[in-house]
Amino acid sequence: MERVLILNGSPRAPRSNSKRYGEIFAACYGENAEICPVTRGNHQELRDKLDGVSHLLFVFPLYADAIPVPLLDFLKFLEDHPPQKRPAVSVLINCGFLEPQQNEIALEMMRLFCRQNRYPFASSLSIGSGEAILNSPFRFLAARKIKRFARSIARGTPQTLSVTMPLTKKWFVAASTSYWVKYGARWGTTQAQMQTMEIQ
Amino acid sequence: MKLILSDCPLSIQLPDQGDVKWIDLSRLNIANCVGCFGCWTKTPGRCVIRDDAVKVYPLIARSDTLLYISRIKYGGYDTVMKTMLERAIPVQQAFIRILAGETHHVQRSVVPKDATILAYGDTGEEERAIFRKLVARNAHNMNFKTYRIFFCREEEVNDFTGKELKAWNVC
Ligand SMILES: Cc1cc2nc3c(=O)[nH]c(=O)nc-3n(C[C@H](O)[C@H](O)[C@H](O)COP(=O)(O)O)c2cc1C
Repeated sequence: MERVLILNGSPRAPRSNSKRYGEIFAACYGENAEICPVTRGNHQELRDKLDGVSHLLFVFPLYADAIPVPLLDFLKFLEDHPPQKRPAVSVLINCGFLEPQQNEIALEMMRLFCRQNRYPFASSLSIGSGEAILNSPFRFLAARKIKRFARSIARGTPQTLSVTMPLTKKWFVAASTSYWVKYGARWGTTQAQMQTMEIQ
Repeated sequence: MKLILSDCPLSIQLPDQGDVKWIDLSRLNIANCVGCFGCWTKTPGRCVIRDDAVKVYPLIARSDTLLYISRIKYGGYDTVMKTMLERAIPVQQAFIRILAGETHHVQRSVVPKDATILAYGDTGEEERAIFRKLVARNAHNMNFKTYRIFFCREEEVNDFTGKELKAWNVC
């Protein structure tokens, strides 16, 4: 089985949904997977690890419809310091909104990076409602897709996959409202306070 | 008001006119968003990182006409501009609504905008096509009423900017 390096490109890597997605992936994939966060100080170390793996999996959130800055910086570092041998690249991306298609542009950017820098692109898994799905009754849907995604990488049969909560948009709006109201309550912030129109 | 955000110095002369503001982001100290959601849940509308970004996102919210000037990388904004755009999420609420058939955040006091984007660098058609899709998608999240995109080489940025400002009747 190919050795996979899983890079967590979330700016809040230690407490991120990406961490949880990466861990589910690693549990499905087995012992040939290693997870590392991308930090400002570890670009060289991560690049050195690439020489020992045949597959690189980027796990990250959608930020402003695109790739988060810390990961963008790492991609630029790799462009300037390419590894000896280029592993195949797969991507597991999650976004806050319901529609996994909202991840499509960031995925195109990753494919473009791969083409420009001669990394073979393998599989992608695009998760919608990624902020909430793992804490919802639909967790099993995400876990099932991640398992399929892991299998596609283990077998070398690239796939383009997506998953989200099977809710109507209206239901999603209602569910996300109660999610955020509870989130605010942890800080003692009311819904009305969260709805302030003021920007400081 | 009219706002110009650039990721590089420009050699343009702006008249001392109250409602036009130019900010060269490359001269500011702006850390990247750490995704804490403090600006949605803890201190709504206010980023907890009090660096130079907090001077910029209220101006983005207030402006009705925007000019963003940025290098383009992998079909998206390069680091300097992208860092600012990520730090601008205090202008939105955590809460979600349906807009153009998709789920998007509710905006706070964000004036609808006519946006012009000048994307520079050695870009090919593939990269430009991705960038066009990105701006179209950003338009929903950034309250763009209209937008226009121009591509140019780095050495053409000042010329393009000058022409755009003439169109704004600014210089
Ligand atoms: C600065 C910022 C920008 C974001 N932009 C988007 C976006 O454009 N579309 C979207 O669906 N979610 C967006 N999100 C939500 C995240 O993608 C979502 O919360 C995700 O689950 C975070 O994953 P992580 O915990 O792995 O970082 C954004 C979040 C932040 C903090």
